[in-house]
Amino acid sequence: MIDRRSLLMSATALALGVIPRTAGAAEPESAKTFINSLANDAILLMARKDLPAPERTQRFRELFKRGFDVAAIGRFVLGRYWRDATEAEQAEYLRLFEDLIVATYAGRFSEYSGETLTVLEGRPDEDRFLLVTSQINRSGGNPPIRIDWRIADGQGTPKIVDVVVEGVSMSVTQRSEFASVIQRGGGKIQGLIVALRDKTKSLQTR
Amino acid sequence: MVRARPSVSSLAAPLIAAAILSGCASMNDDARDPFEPLNRHIFAVNQAVDVVILRPIAVTYRDLVPDPIKTAVNNFLNYLKSPVILANDVMQGEWKRAGETVERFAYNSLTLGLADIAAPRVPFHDEDFGQTLAVWGANDGPYLVLPLIGPSNPRDAIGLVVDWFIDPVYWAARANQWDGLTYGRTAARVVTARVDTIKVTDDLERTSLDYYAAIRDVYRQRRNDEIRNRATGPTPRALGIEATFAFKEQAPPAANN
Repeated sequence: MIDRRSLLMSATALALGVIPRTAGAAEPESAKTFINSLANDAILLMARKDLPAPERTQRFRELFKRGFDVAAIGRFVLGRYWRDATEAEQAEYLRLFEDLIVATYAGRFSEYSGETLTVLEGRPDEDRFLLVTSQINRSGGNPPIRIDWRIADGQGTPKIVDVVVEGVSMSVTQRSEFASVIQRGGGKIQGLIVALRDKTKSLQTR
Repeated sequence: MVRARPSVSSLAAPLIAAAILSGCASMNDDARDPFEPLNRHIFAVNQAVDVVILRPIAVTYRDLVPDPIKTAVNNFLNYLKSPVILANDVMQGEWKRAGETVERFAYNSLTLGLADIAAPRVPFHDEDFGQTLAVWGANDGPYLVLPLIGPSNPRDAIGLVVDWFIDPVYWAARANQWDGLTYGRTAARVVTARVDTIKVTDDLERTSLDYYAAIRDVYRQRRNDEIRNRATGPTPRALGIEATFAFKEQAPPAANN
């Protein structure tokens, strides 16, 4: 397991095209602060029920782009198909990928019911990523949900590159899913682009 | 996705044989799912059964049964599983966790297993023989979707059968002809396991581009996480963290879904 995981992390680093800097002692702490402030802003936004839906979504999109390295995640998720794609396809894919993630999380956030987030620990991770561990506390005696945030700060500003929920990496899951969609569409990225467009539309009109 | 128990006759062997026969012509290049066409077919059948029977039962149970009763049912199921968990703790050489299982069993026996009075000191942990095989170095093998049971693989399918056979509660019920206990327990396990996953599976089904592929990967990652005993991050208590990040505004509770 460990081997596969570290292999995957190396692959992540390659796919992200980041050359992670050596993590100093201060960086895990600043990564924690980063997650805390992002979570706080997200909760504040979720509580703004007075905002019209389009504006909430727009604000959520800005918040999301501030916290996540969308392009890097999108590239990682596309895996080996990234290089096969033309520049125009890459650009369209990234735009649709961002739409999908925003629509997905906007839907999840609309179900928010007062849960709290406790940031636990920040530490250097494999390949000099940073890992921030946290948990979502739930009511009614339900056990907390473990969430780990994998962060790259290669460009000097920390950006989330993966969210791991109870040991399940969102990026790794989507990578496998997208590969399956492409394979079933005859190995063409166009099949994925159509599927992304349809799915985003169905999420937005919900 | 539901860990229902197979009947005593092993489901795994004929299924693997069938999978091998039908899977050879597969064009799938995901080496971890060589039987994808058959798996997808069984997945679709399981989905139909879930939509028509299991999910409605689970939703009804979740929404109509009072919380204290649901908690007691969960506690009792965990309590009854103690011998199997202990056996797997020991087989994995996890002596500390084995001690915890014994301690929990002793405490909770005071309530006949209906209340988890041990939890504040020693929280529940699960184990199964599929995990034990992994700790012993067994690979998971090809992904398999088992009829009615859901996502699995040869390692975990063998684990299901072994856990069934090493369970003294099962043998005691059989010897005393307490059929109601075995059937009731199995039904309760299936329904409570489905209740636990409803939110996740609904969300995944709604947001994924390929639900089958998403479930396949989530299953694999979840199992690996369980095998590592969730060891990606320390617990807040281990870190001595008391203060919870306080949100400045509390949204009104959403409708309970």
